[in-house]
Amino acid sequence: MTTTETVKDTAGDVFQPRLVAFVCNWCTYAGADLTGTSRLAYAPHVRVLKLPCTGRIDPLFVLKAFEGGADGVLISGCHPGDCHYSSGNYHARRRWAVFRRLLSLTGIDERRLQFSWVSAAEGQKFADLVNRITDEVRAAGPFDPSNPARRLPWK
Amino acid sequence: MEIATKLRADAAALLGDGRVKLVIGYAARGARRVPVFISEAPKVEVLMWDATCRQNLAAYLSKPDLKTLRPVAIVASPPVMRSLVVLASEAQIEDGSVVILGLDESGYHGILDLGKTVELLNAVCKGQGLDREILGRLEQIRGMSPQERAAFWASEFAKCTRCYACRAACPACYCARCIVEKNVPQWISTAAAAHGNFAWNIIRAFHVAGRCTSCGACQAACPQGIPLMLLNVGVTESVETEFGIRAGFDPDAKPAIGSYSLEDKEDFIR
Amino acid sequence: MTLLKLSNLSDLAAALQAQGYRVVAPIQDDAVVRLRSWRPGDTVRIAALPVNSPKDFLFPRCEAIGRYVLDRDGFTSEDLPARAEKTVLLGIRPCDVAALAGLDSVFAWGYPDKFYGERRAATTIVSLVCPSADDDCFCTSVGGAPDSTVGADAMLRLCNGGTAMTFASMTEKGKALDAVFGQFSSPGEAAVDPVAEVPVLFNSEVVTDWCSKSFESTVWRTLGLACLGCGACAFMCPACHCFDIQDESTDAQVDRLRNWDSCGFSQFTLHASGHNPRPDQPARWRQRMMHKFRYFKERFGRVACTGCGRCGRLCPTGMAISDVCREIARAEEVR
Repeated sequence: MTTTETVKDTAGDVFQPRLVAFVCNWCTYAGADLTGTSRLAYAPHVRVLKLPCTGRIDPLFVLKAFEGGADGVLISGCHPGDCHYSSGNYHARRRWAVFRRLLSLTGIDERRLQFSWVSAAEGQKFADLVNRITDEVRAAGPFDPSNPARRLPWK
Repeated sequence: MEIATKLRADAAALLGDGRVKLVIGYAARGARRVPVFISEAPKVEVLMWDATCRQNLAAYLSKPDLKTLRPVAIVASPPVMRSLVVLASEAQIEDGSVVILGLDESGYHGILDLGKTVELLNAVCKGQGLDREILGRLEQIRGMSPQERAAFWASEFAKCTRCYACRAACPACYCARCIVEKNVPQWISTAAAAHGNFAWNIIRAFHVAGRCTSCGACQAACPQGIPLMLLNVGVTESVETEFGIRAGFDPDAKPAIGSYSLEDKEDFIR
Repeated sequence: MTLLKLSNLSDLAAALQAQGYRVVAPIQDDAVVRLRSWRPGDTVRIAALPVNSPKDFLFPRCEAIGRYVLDRDGFTSEDLPARAEKTVLLGIRPCDVAALAGLDSVFAWGYPDKFYGERRAATTIVSLVCPSADDDCFCTSVGGAPDSTVGADAMLRLCNGGTAMTFASMTEKGKALDAVFGQFSSPGEAAVDPVAEVPVLFNSEVVTDWCSKSFESTVWRTLGLACLGCGACAFMCPACHCFDIQDESTDAQVDRLRNWDSCGFSQFTLHASGHNPRPDQPARWRQRMMHKFRYFKERFGRVACTGCGRCGRLCPTGMAISDVCREIARAEEVR
């Protein structure tokens, strides 16, 4: 059963995860555009946020995503060596290596924060990636509302 | 006490001949150890040091009220020395503006400049690993399920009142305007409730990644007894494992998170 | 005498809960004793001074005090209830009880604060005569006493080497607890434990007087240098009550929150123009002392400090208000 088939279920009992993807403009966003122009279907539960570069992504964005209702977060950018700004992705890579461990230590399932390099030519990769991550986050289940990272309504 | 006698003599000499304008050290007030700020040679008699002096005096070097009082002498045990090296590497201490009165449990090491301090640190501390008890506890926490981990931290962070004593006591936290004080937009909720406390404690730990010297001043300052060293050592361990970097031994080191290597691992990136 | 055995405290708490009270008592939480809501299984440490104060339960760290709900055409303003719970505060020291009197004055001043007021009205205070004090305690220097009953609805007193207690109600609220305390008490021989000794360290009148004429004094610079500007003292102080209003919004609504604030924070008096009338830490430390020993005294007739000693115990740099007061008093006497 592929993800695209599952997507056809209406409301039903299947939990559909809310994914947020922070992607860089020059590579992954262009790659996602290619996915679309190639008419490749992929799981529709992801909201794509475009940034100039993965180097701009602050760990706070990830925290805000989980606060606001995300079940999973994807961060994706240019392959090392291909960064439009030369070294933004190198800085990002270093940041994430530490931040992902911190988030895991403090109780966010590792399946919920994922990283990838997707180039402007990798339309198929983007579709496959989103499908796979959607499955993995679905398997991890809905983000626990008692997790301290989640913002709850004020009483 | 031998340390105190030599320390006071050196402090008095430095003040007496004008080599420094201020000496920052510790004094005893009953069982408490409090920071003192001495600008007159006769007043050095209160200076003392023992292993219960836990505050990191390097935190005072960035306080606006003291920033302009240079040159300054500072009583420094190895954690404080390492913090001074980190501050120097981040261009927070001008060359020659800080004189170090080095000491540790083995004795008083005299008036040191940054170079001699770095030598001493590399000789004495470089080989020491991170606190084994804390590493063990971290192992334990990592062995829990994500839900158990979340529940553990939820109960710890529930104690947080957002007093920011951790930030105030830390020499690495010297931003004139902290991220929590920025409100356009308000990145981190200022209310002492779950998500704000989570964000604050995570971001604080992340912002000292590669800069923390495990001095423990933050945890000692926390009025609620939150085990902050678990977060700090966890992050320090990540930085050491991933990049082989340990803060506070090289004043010319580039900041861990602010730099990169083409060889950085990316086994977690798809 | 009728005595309540300390070993019956958990059962007593459970019985009070069964009567619909939220029971707040000093509870062992790992290495720390904390004043919090009792749950079955908790160990009550009635004779231990908790790290936090009872103000947490009348004036919480953060709470929503207003709300705007957004809709297509605009917004509606929603009135939020006070969320007061019938509460028994068990084992509260006289210093903490005295501090509540100060909070009562502030939150009824000019505008009756329903969030504090309704909680206060729903709260019964069962105070404990201090069985012990440490070097940081100084209630007797600020008009208090370790056995003061002022402000309490009922008093507990330890007996027989701290193994039992007597209970005596003084107000209507206190008398409502007679039955349940009686249920867990039995007649017995009792030697009342001695009251803690708290030597007078300074004359607070002298401090108030000095504060009244020393706004421009250069002494503040020396006194304030060690202060790191955190909120540990203000937040743990039973008498401190400053707060900040913050609006937090989502697409659907705006919640107006009231959060604790500290005059020690660098941005406490930062104006929108960028001007800060208290631009450095000595100025902010001066404010702390002035507010407690001069302004509050002038306005409400009491100093906003009851000698609990938490600031000294919890300050990362050991800046105890009692030390500062002693220095001031000593300097004045010499003069």
